[in-house]
Amino acid sequence: MPLTLEIVTPEARVYSDTIDTVVIPTVDGEIGILPGHIPLLTQVEHGELCVTKDGQSKFLAVGGGFAQIDGDKVSVLAEHAINEEHIDEKAVEEAMKRAERELATAKTMDPQELEHLQGLVRYAGVQLALKRKRR
Amino acid sequence: MASTRDIRRRIKSVKNTRQITKAMELVAASKMKKAQGLALAGRPYAQLMANMLSALADRVEESHHPFLAKREIKTRGIILITTDKGLCGPLNANLFKLVLDIKTPAKYVVIGRKGAQFLARAKRDLLADFQVSDRVGFSEVKVVAEFMVQQFLEGAVDTVELIWPHFRNTLVQEPSLMPLLPLTSVKDVITDLRSDAGQSAAAAPAHRNEMLFEPDAATVLDALLPLYINREIYQHVLDAKASEHSARMVAMKTAKDNATNLLGDLTLEYNKARQAAITQEILEISAASFAA
Repeated sequence: MPLTLEIVTPEARVYSDTIDTVVIPTVDGEIGILPGHIPLLTQVEHGELCVTKDGQSKFLAVGGGFAQIDGDKVSVLAEHAINEEHIDEKAVEEAMKRAERELATAKTMDPQELEHLQGLVRYAGVQLALKRKRR
Repeated sequence: MASTRDIRRRIKSVKNTRQITKAMELVAASKMKKAQGLALAGRPYAQLMANMLSALADRVEESHHPFLAKREIKTRGIILITTDKGLCGPLNANLFKLVLDIKTPAKYVVIGRKGAQFLARAKRDLLADFQVSDRVGFSEVKVVAEFMVQQFLEGAVDTVELIWPHFRNTLVQEPSLMPLLPLTSVKDVITDLRSDAGQSAAAAPAHRNEMLFEPDAATVLDALLPLYINREIYQHVLDAKASEHSARMVAMKTAKDNATNLLGDLTLEYNKARQAAITQEILEISAASFAA
């Protein structure tokens, strides 16, 4: 019985397909999901999500969120998610530099802003790492 | 009577105006379609979040999350969602009327330039103003949401409420006020999410009890609630965008129709003036030939 994977963000349904297995980055480390997994609800970290279908692996960069496994249905609720092919390396690099520069210059930034920027840098880092690894 | 040349000039300018308003109407119509599409694209997210919350609600008896805590309301925190540009009929003015009705002490966070200008004029307590792009992304709204939540947690404001133009249909946008924080209960949150996802409360799937939570149910719930607030605000910004574009479309359509009417009147007047001038000329020529 194959798994169905669904990844949704507030903006759109990014991924929806039947798959063989998926590896999800969670706060407690990466977990691999195979058919017949026990029902689970867990927190997802910024990281790469690896989907395997028909022996082929596909990677997606995901931002923080949650994953629910219920029977043969895996649902990921993420703040961002981007398919590896859609990552624009240059744009991400620039965004990351910009955010880092802001982080370096502003010492008196309010914590909210700081966290937002750090999140940006982390997510950008994940996207870059993923893109480079695939080459 | 105005000379034919003056009327011709008027006709030209009215024609230009009509062309511009027509173009703006078309642009607004296509943007409205896009905004509506975006608002609908958020449905699967709402549904999934409702599912997760209902799985959690069974397991967590009572959460001590500050979002759920009742407290005395001294200062209200209000997020006002307006447009950046004008030319959208009474959309912003209706929102401002709603704001002026608020007599209790309140602090404001505003999205859109029009709202910032208004609050400055009305001398209300403006905490921050933000601008979002036309094709608004989640990360843009997240900053606003987190700023407001921070104010709420620090105690600067005791509620978080939203004022936004609710999109009923293309012709009707209703200025609305909705309380967001503090939340009444997790159950209400679930019901709200389900209605956003376009399904009834009865459609909730049954949950098996052996659902495992990592790290544990209470932590997951506490982490999920801020996400709900972010989503809620994002969804309302999208709703406001759809309202803005439909209001602009209707305003531009009215302007275009008015221009067309005016053009008809002016053309009639022009023809009359032209005919009068010709008659006058013939009279003069014939009078001159009689005299000769």
